[in-house]
Formats: sequence, C-alpha cells, structure tokens
Amino acid sequence: MYRISDQQIDYIISDIGARGVEMESLQQNLVDHVCCIIENNLEENGDFESFYQTTIQTFYKDELWEIEEETLQLLTHKNYYTMKKIMIYSGTLSVAGFIVGSIFKIMHWPGASAILLLSMVNISLIFLPLLFILKTREVNTMKDKLMVAIGTIFGILFSLSSLFKIFHWPGANLMWLIALGILMFLFIPIYFFSGIRNPETKINTIITSIILIAAVGMLFTLTSLRSSSQVYFGNTYNYLQGEELITRMQLIKNDTATQNPEIINLSKEIIENCKKIKEKIIIDGTGLKSIPDDFEKKDIILQESVPGKEFHPGESGMELIQKLKKQINSYNTLVNKNNQLPIDNSIEKMENMNSIQLSNYNLLNSLTEIQLFILQNEKGLKFN
Amino acid sequence: MIYSSELIKGTLKTIVLKLLADNKKMYGYEITQKVKDLTLNKIQITEGALYPTLHALEADGLVTTESEFIGKRVRKYYTLSPSGKNKTKEKVSELADFMETMKFLLDIKTKTV
Repeated sequence: MYRISDQQIDYIISDIGARGVEMESLQQNLVDHVCCIIENNLEENGDFESFYQTTIQTFYKDELWEIEEETLQLLTHKNYYTMKKIMIYSGTLSVAGFIVGSIFKIMHWPGASAILLLSMVNISLIFLPLLFILKTREVNTMKDKLMVAIGTIFGILFSLSSLFKIFHWPGANLMWLIALGILMFLFIPIYFFSGIRNPETKINTIITSIILIAAVGMLFTLTSLRSSSQVYFGNTYNYLQGEELITRMQLIKNDTATQNPEIINLSKEIIENCKKIKEKIIIDGTGLKSIPDDFEKKDIILQESVPGKEFHPGESGMELIQKLKKQINSYNTLVNKNNQLPIDNSIEKMENMNSIQLSNYNLLNSLTEIQLFILQNEKGLKFN
Repeated sequence: MIYSSELIKGTLKTIVLKLLADNKKMYGYEITQKVKDLTLNKIQITEGALYPTLHALEADGLVTTESEFIGKRVRKYYTLSPSGKNKTKEKVSELADFMETMKFLLDIKTKTV
C-alpha cells in the first residue's frame, strides 16, 4: 500500500483547484477520494504523479469542473422548486387577497385597504419578479428573455398603478400610461415581428397581437373614462362653494335683538357640530382635514362613497350625527314655527338607521344646508 | 456487464440512502467500493455522479456530514438524518414498486427458482 505525503496532498489540492473545482467541500471529497484510490492501488514504490494523472482522468468525461457544475445544477434545481412553490403560493394569496379585499371594501369592513395593499405589493414585488426569474431560465434566446423582461416590467407597473390609483397616491396616472406605452410600443412590436417570421407561429402571432392591441385600446379608453374623476371634481366644487357661502354669511352681522341667548348658543353648537362631522367625512374620503382650493392640481379627489368605519353605529362620527339630531330637535322647540329647521328632507328623517346609507356628498350637502338655515335665522332673515 | 449510466442515474439517490441506512456512516470512496463489492462490479458509481448527489442530499437535509482530518486531508462522513431515514423507506419502496411495474410493462418472466 502506497503512503501519500503531505506535499503530495498539497499537489493534489492545487491540481484539483486548477482544474476548476472551487467548492471547498467538493474539493475535500475529491481529494480524499483520489487519495483512497492511490493508496489502495499504487505499489509502494510506484510513480505517484503519473498514477494520479490517469486516476483523476477517470473522474470526468471532458473536464473535472463538470462535477462542480453538476453539483451546482442539482443545488439550484432545488432552489428552482422552492422558488416555484413560493411563486405559486404568493400568486394564489394575491388572487385570494384581491377577492376578499374587494368584498371588504364594498362592505366597508375594516382591513380592506390593508388586504388590497398587501395583495398588490405581493403580486408586483414577489410574484412577478419570481415569474421573471423562472421564465428567463426556460427561454433560450436573448429576444425571448427581453420579451419576458418587458412583460414583467409592464405587469409590475400595471399593478402598481392600480394600487396607486386605489390609494390616490400621486403618479398613478403617469405609471398607468407608461405601462400601456410599454405594452403598445415595445412588447407588441417585438412580439409581432419575432413571431411573424416563423411560418409555424405566424397565424397565432397575428391573432394574439390583435387581441393585445384591442386590450390596450380598451384599457386606454378606460383611462379617459376614468374622468368619473370629472364628476367628483364637480361635486367637490359644489362642496367648496357651499363652504364659501357659509363663511360669507357668517360675516353678516347677527340680529341679536330678536333672539335669546339660549338660541344663540345652540346655533353655535350646531354649526360647530356640523363642521366636525364634515371634517370627519373629508378625512374619511381623502385622508386630509380639509380640501384645498387647488385640489384639482394636487389630484385630491373626494370620491363618492358611503362614509367608512367612523360612521358605523356606536362610532364617533355616528355619535356626532345622533347628537346633531337632538340639537336640531331642541332648536326647533326654541324658535318660532317659521324659523324651525325643516326635518322632512334632512338626515333627521333617517330614524332607527343602522348605519349611514347616504353618500358622503349627500351628507356634506345636508350638513351645509343645516348650517345655512341656522345662519339665515341668526342674521334675522325672517319670513313674514 | 456494467449497467449504463442512464439506468444508474435515476436510482443513485436510493442506492446511497439505502447504503447509509445499513452502514450508519460512510465516506464517498467507501460508498463506491461497497456498491462495487455488493454488485460484483456490475454497478460502478462514478465520482462525477456520486458527489453531486451527496451534496444535493445534504442540501435537502436528508444526510448530515462530519469531517475527520487524516493528516492533511479531510474525510467527510455522511450519516442519515431522521428525515433521511423516512425518505429512504419511501424511496426503496417506490423503486421496488417501479421494478414490479417494469416487469409487467416489459413482460419480463421472473426466473423460477
């Protein structure tokens, strides 16, 4: 049996390293393996170097680093499955999140925004990038890789722009247009011209391109249709005009001579209460305390919706409305019949309601009207 | 007759796992020799197939390793982990089942004893 010296081991280690095996644990395995073979098969006074060279050559077909490559491939193959699993889970979660989140949103249950936000972030920052990594492995040509990359960027921008839109964050529209632009002017042309050259894929390419262009067209139409924002702007104008009217009326001198202090106080309280409720509605809809005059420029939109959680039974917004009703009733007992606040067509009418059914705009307008009625009495604009 | 590497490839994991189950801890060279002996040289595991498989088994947590220094060189012993033991049973019975199916599929008459 041959005995291998330390120098010879160094020689083997450096030779295996030079042959391109860089993973330490694999190197150790190969060194030990080749040493075992040499020790068991070489005569005590045999030629170490030539025996080593012939032995190491039996380890591979062309090059020794094939072993390392094979090892790495098996290891990444494992990652491949993990990534695929994560991708499928995150995709499923996102889809489930979209469905559950939108149901929550419609029902005004708490947590809707959080679910939608998570799903969107999940799909655009986990699912799509993973899809990209896994897909690029499956395709071979640079052109195909480019297609996958462009497709992924489009997907990410598209879902992020929807996310921004839902949360009224700035830049949503721009992102949306860029996404559509990428799809229309990059993805579709590359897809079309690469597919049409191949007779086998020609027909399919034409059909798919037409469908894609139609889809872009429809999505683009949606962009202009989204001027439901115009409707919201209009409503917001009305609201701001109402506020202005209230401010101006408050500047007119009060007709104190004809009213008792109790009524003056109650009037103040009612007007203040209305203001508070309005503020809650505005915060609920926009996240801001008040709507600035240049709301259009800043893309601040008060969407028409039913006021959220604060206006559920027992919540602070609802409590204020209940208080307002009581205030209106006591006001009406104090003032002349002619000056009573009309309750037939106001929020007062909604007795025993479980939650607010009026939209935020209706509610804002009702409150403005109440304030104006009160002010009109205060200023002594009597009906004789 | 030496079996082709295509045949070995699909069964190598099972062979390694089963050997480790029967012999507690082994190192690479030992595994190749053991297989050679047990199969009367009919199955010869190449280094190029064995080590990638061992590394993959390690990455999957089916085997654990411990290193032993022999002079200047390091010998890595492989041992089955608890999950590796379960996997071995699974793999062996799967292969046994597969062989039955192949017998049926290829219509191989079993030798009568």
